[in-house]
Amino acid sequence: MRLLDQLVVSTNYDTEVDFAGYSTYSMSTDTIGFVSNQNPNDTILTQLKSGYPRPVLQRVESNLNDLGYTHVQKNQNPDWRINVYVVNDYNLFQQVVYPSYYYPSYYGYGYGYGSYYAYPYVNTYATNTGSLVVEILDLRNITPDKKVKVIWGAYMGDVYSTIDLVKQSEDAIDQAFVQSPYLGK
Amino acid sequence: MKKINLIILFICCCSTAYAQESYLYFDWDVNIPLTNKDWIDNTSARGAKVGFRKFIGADRKFSAGLDFNWAYFDEYKPTETFPQPGGAITTDYFNEIDQFGLTASGQYYFQVGNRQHFFPYAGLGLGANHHDYIVSYNIYTDKESSWGFLARPEAGILIRIGTRRRLGAMAAVHYDYSTSKSVNYDYNNFSSVGFQLGVMLMQW
Repeated sequence: MRLLDQLVVSTNYDTEVDFAGYSTYSMSTDTIGFVSNQNPNDTILTQLKSGYPRPVLQRVESNLNDLGYTHVQKNQNPDWRINVYVVNDYNLFQQVVYPSYYYPSYYGYGYGYGSYYAYPYVNTYATNTGSLVVEILDLRNITPDKKVKVIWGAYMGDVYSTIDLVKQSEDAIDQAFVQSPYLGK
Repeated sequence: MKKINLIILFICCCSTAYAQESYLYFDWDVNIPLTNKDWIDNTSARGAKVGFRKFIGADRKFSAGLDFNWAYFDEYKPTETFPQPGGAITTDYFNEIDQFGLTASGQYYFQVGNRQHFFPYAGLGLGANHHDYIVSYNIYTDKESSWGFLARPEAGILIRIGTRRRLGAMAAVHYDYSTSKSVNYDYNNFSSVGFQLGVMLMQW
C-alpha cells in the first residue's frame, strides 16, 4: 500500500509560452469532465452527484489565485480556460504529445460539456487506471481554424486506487503547481 | 564380435547410469546485490535454488547437473521530483529486479573423514540469467528485460543426516556474474553474492 499513499504527479508545459504574460482565467466551479472508454456517455461529474468536483476545483482555483491570476466569467474574455477532468482507462503517464491542440475548439463548449471535453491523444492503453487532469488552454491565441492550444497540463493518478481520494487529489494539485515554477505573474 | 562388444558397452553404460548416485536439492537463497547499488542495495531474502546433480564415477568426487535460480530484489525510494524536458514528474517508487536463470554445473567434492556424512564441495555453473529491471510507482510499472550469460562459482557442503536416510541438508555460498544489461537503469552487468540453505534428497 506504500505507493498508494500519494498520486503520481506529472506536468508538461509549452516552453515557448511566457506564463507571466497572462492575467485571467475562467473555469467551472462545480463540474468536472469525465472521459471513459468504458462508458462514453458519462462525460461529466457534478457536485450534486459526487463530493469530488468542488474541492478539486477550489484547490486549482486557489493555486492559480495565489500565483496572481484572476478568476473571471467566461463572457469576460479570459486569457485561459482551465480544463479539469478525470480520464478512465488511459495511461497518461506514457504519453509524450502534450502540449497539443484541442479538437473541437473552445467554442464548442457552448453546446454542452460533451462537445467541450475532447479525448486527449494517448499512445498507451492500460486497464483499470484513472487520472485527474488539469489543463490550461490558451484562449488568447486561438488559431484561425479555431483550435485551442493546451499550454500546461497536470496528470495525477491513480485516482481509482487512492486511499483518500479528495485529500490525495488536493495534495497532488498543490504538487503540480509546486513543480511548475514558471507559472505565476 | 563387434555387435557383441557394442551390446556389452551399452549394458555397462545402462548399469552405470542406473547405479549413478545423485541428489536433488531445494534451497532458500539469500542474495546481496553487488552492482549499481545506488539503484538497489537491499539484501534479498526472496530467492530459491533448485537443482539436480549426478555423481560421476564410483568414488563421489565429481558431479554434474542443472541448477535453476530465482531471486527478487527491491528497494523503496521516497518521493522525488524528476525534471524532464518540458515538465516534471513527482512520485515515490520501488526499484525492483526479478531474476531467474539456469546453469549447467560441475562440482568437485573434498574428502573429509569417512565420507559418510559430510561432503564439502566447490563448483562452477555456466548458463543464462534473465532480469526484469522494474520501476513501480503508484499502480504504474516501467520495465526493461534482458538475458545474459551467467557464471557462478560456488562452494558448499552436503550433510547426510543418517546413513540409512535419504534426506540431507545443504548449505552453500555462490557468486553470480551475469552480462544482462539495462540501458535505462544503468546496468552493464549484474552480480550478487548468495547464501543458500535447504534440503536434499539423496540417491545413494
